[in-house]
Amino acid sequence: MSFSAPSLLLASLLYLSLLFGIAWATERGTLLRRWVRHPLTYTLSLGVYAGIWAVYGAAGFAAESGFGYLAYYVGISGAFLLAPVLLNPILRISRAYQLTSLADLFAYRYRSQWAGTLVTLCSAAAIMSLLSMQIQAVSASASILAPDTSPTFISTLFCLIVVLFAVLFGARRQQTTGHHQGLVLAIAFDSLVKLAALLVLGGVILFTVFGGNAGLESWLASTSRPESPMAMNVNDGTWRALLLMSFAGALVLPHMYHMTFSESPSPRALGKASWGLPLYLFLLALPVPLIVWGGQALDVAGPPAFFSIGIAQALDSPMLTLLMYIAGLSAASGLMIVSTLALAGMVLNHIVLPLKTPNEQGDIYYWLQWVKRLLIAAILILALLFHEIVGQHLDLAILGAISLTGTLQLLPGVLGVIYWPEGNRRGLIAGLVTGLSIWVLTLVLPFSYPFDLLSLIGMPVTDGFGNWHVVTFTSLTANLAVFAVVSILSPAKPEEISAAQACSMGALSRPQRRELFASSSADFIHHLAEPLGMNVARREVQQALSQLKLPPSEFRPYQLRRLRDQVEANLSGLLGPSIASDIVKRHLGFKPMARGSTGQDIRYVERALGDYQSQLTGLAGELDNLRRHYRQTLQNLPIPACSIGDDGEILMWNHAMEALTSISADEVVGAKLLALPEHWHMLLDDFNKGSEPHRYKHRLDLRGKPHWLNLHKAALNGPEHPEDGSIILVEDQTETRLLEDELMHSERLASVGRLAAGVAHEIGNPVTGISSLAQNLKLETDNPEILDTANQIQQQTRRISTILQSLMNFSRTGNHAQATRYEPVSLHRCVEESINLLSLGDNSKGIQYENHCPQDLQILGDEQRLVQVFVNLLANARDASPEKGQIRVTGKRDSYSAIIEVIDEGTGIPADQQDHVFEPFFTTKASNKGTGLGLSLVYSIVEEHYGNIQVESPALSMSGKGTCMRLRLPAYEPDTDADSRPNERS
Amino acid sequence: MYIYRLVFLLVLAIYIFSPNILSWWTGPGNAWYSPFIFWGCLIVIGFWLEWRRDPNEF
Repeated sequence: MSFSAPSLLLASLLYLSLLFGIAWATERGTLLRRWVRHPLTYTLSLGVYAGIWAVYGAAGFAAESGFGYLAYYVGISGAFLLAPVLLNPILRISRAYQLTSLADLFAYRYRSQWAGTLVTLCSAAAIMSLLSMQIQAVSASASILAPDTSPTFISTLFCLIVVLFAVLFGARRQQTTGHHQGLVLAIAFDSLVKLAALLVLGGVILFTVFGGNAGLESWLASTSRPESPMAMNVNDGTWRALLLMSFAGALVLPHMYHMTFSESPSPRALGKASWGLPLYLFLLALPVPLIVWGGQALDVAGPPAFFSIGIAQALDSPMLTLLMYIAGLSAASGLMIVSTLALAGMVLNHIVLPLKTPNEQGDIYYWLQWVKRLLIAAILILALLFHEIVGQHLDLAILGAISLTGTLQLLPGVLGVIYWPEGNRRGLIAGLVTGLSIWVLTLVLPFSYPFDLLSLIGMPVTDGFGNWHVVTFTSLTANLAVFAVVSILSPAKPEEISAAQACSMGALSRPQRRELFASSSADFIHHLAEPLGMNVARREVQQALSQLKLPPSEFRPYQLRRLRDQVEANLSGLLGPSIASDIVKRHLGFKPMARGSTGQDIRYVERALGDYQSQLTGLAGELDNLRRHYRQTLQNLPIPACSIGDDGEILMWNHAMEALTSISADEVVGAKLLALPEHWHMLLDDFNKGSEPHRYKHRLDLRGKPHWLNLHKAALNGPEHPEDGSIILVEDQTETRLLEDELMHSERLASVGRLAAGVAHEIGNPVTGISSLAQNLKLETDNPEILDTANQIQQQTRRISTILQSLMNFSRTGNHAQATRYEPVSLHRCVEESINLLSLGDNSKGIQYENHCPQDLQILGDEQRLVQVFVNLLANARDASPEKGQIRVTGKRDSYSAIIEVIDEGTGIPADQQDHVFEPFFTTKASNKGTGLGLSLVYSIVEEHYGNIQVESPALSMSGKGTCMRLRLPAYEPDTDADSRPNERS
Repeated sequence: MYIYRLVFLLVLAIYIFSPNILSWWTGPGNAWYSPFIFWGCLIVIGFWLEWRRDPNEF
């Protein structure tokens, strides 16, 4: 059964158009887009690894080497099952530094443009064979189906379609994520088609050719063919070599690196792929023995590699035949597109850009896109030429071995990135050159048909394809040995050591805290405009700022250092790490370090340690716990504290400091003191630079109120910590200062009181004299006017005596020594006595007093002093009350306290005066009515009795009037204390 | 770093003995699909390890 060339061409074009449609619809953002970031799509897109091996190569290999074909699948499955220790570290590095290819990774890690270029050349040379293998498979399968068609025509047409696809969908890189979404979904679809076709073919063979598993088992038992049970011929060397190359393929094949790391939507997706890809390859491998046995059972003619098409033809099923052809076409096209794309990126970054940098005045993005398109086309045309001249004369297995052995030379370097920080660029380049030389001399040149290059250089041509695995191991061992020896013997540059630490697992890079020439994000744009042009520079800086969630205008040195790293990473994704590093180093440089300065970026290290938290185990974990403990201690210290580096950068700003200053740590840590508000900056900077270790009671006005601060300073350096800087403690002494002021005020009042008592005593005698003289005057005259005057003199002297008595009483208060003479006092009796005393006065205004104090409510105290309290309270209540008002005194017991309330119906006390009524000389009465000492006397007496007094106004919620004076005094327990307490009065 | 050394040794041991393991899988007494059963078991283990893995691990 055969097809006509036009129908085969039509089928091919229809399928490739479907691929175009999927990619186009995804890029346009239709429904398909939500599938792009799904882990299943990612896993299927990794199926690009299999290439035409899945459809043709595996069956051919299985027919000769039995289950040895599994090595190609098992090796990479092992690498993915080890993803947490093998692939995740690379993913972390490539995402952090935007390294889109293996050459980028090498150039970044080994800090060498030469390393990147060498990796690119090595990959390009190896990929030519792989591309040729795909072209050969497609043209050979087409030739089987349409024998009249020219293989060259098919190869050329196929390559042109792949060029078109790769140029359209591969060169367009999404600016924000750097992913090729359309391409990923198209490749995943390719993988799905490949898998479905093979499973269908396997099922058809099992049930149609053999009639089920029982039939297969009986055929296997009965067949006399030596290769049928597939248990034979597993050559140890070949198996091991293929297994190793397949294992390394996950890391070193350009298309696998591109799909695994550059197109990975998230580390979680890689986690799913760690078992998803082995499962996919398992399903691809499952039908292979059936295809081989089916081909043998049906006596299919032709090479076993194309049994899949031969069986479909033998079964006389055009649909199945076409399906298998499409499967091969999809496998080949997918691998070619991704390989070419990956290689074009490498060539652009590591060969083109170092030779010719884009014109900064034009649009760099546009320039890069077009150069990449040209490179894609050039690579595929080169691959076609290689295939036409050399590749088509070689077996698929030879092409595969040449390609995989070439890329295998990159394995030592990749493992060095993660596991061997001591490896350096000299070692890498020397090892690579050694390994690649052996590879070229022993595997590439012997097959350089028709040129026979080995004979040209006078070397014997070895006919050793049977021993290709020996060549593989020899070249790899030599590469590894030279890499190790040269790395150990030659010194590495500091920047390389720093990059090695950033890349290696478990190691933390400890960047130095250096100051940039650019002092703001605007300066970044200005400096980068020189190499990139103003528009590109602005766009890159703004993108980096938004990725770091920083404000549009940034000044903090720590954040500027982060911004610099992010800009470098983004430029690395655009121009490759070497060019990016060069641009950033040249245009965003650091200021020269002060002599002897050793400042490390503590915040960077803390941040990195924070990210590593759950990965630290054993001693490192314990040390990290200690670090957290001490950090938390400093953060929660109730005294405001901050530490400042020798360059004036704020390194720590604790919670108490945040509360005092109202400036959050996030805003200022990593910034200069200059970034603080003016008053804080002046204070801290001046104190930090000054020589005094302490500063006391520095006044600072915050939020309109004066604050008094004590500042203390200590140097950070010591015998085990050479780093300069200082720690500053800021004690807020405002409350202490206010208390001191209050104490001084009280002292002043006490002095006034003592003075008043003295004055009162001295004035008392003359006043008594005046009163006596007035009395005498009354006895000696009958003149009514003189009698009235004498009465008035007596009245005024009584008033003077009352004031003097009040002053003397006030000055006597505060003497707690009298407490020992206290005896049980009935509060009811005290209140009653006070009411009686007040009733004697002539200004009672018809006030009605009500005493509701329980008879048995007693306290321990001085009865006369307590009467004084109630007289004062009731007199105040009387003065405030209206005519015929009512004053009520209630009392109750509340657990161990006696609560007495004096409630009047007066005008009440305004809220703003309630805090002051107990202050001496405070009065709301007219100047001739009160001295302002009554309530302060009450307060003192109540305090002497270990009680307290409160004011509540208005007391009557209905009328909004009245005042309630509430006394709380310790209640007396007659049953327990009465007998034991001595009655000193009696 | 102890765990990495352990993993490295394990991988090396499996690699060296892999032809023997394959010969054992494809031994005369086993069904033709025996290697796939062993491989399937490895995938299940890989799935289980990934499923129970702390997202911050490694």
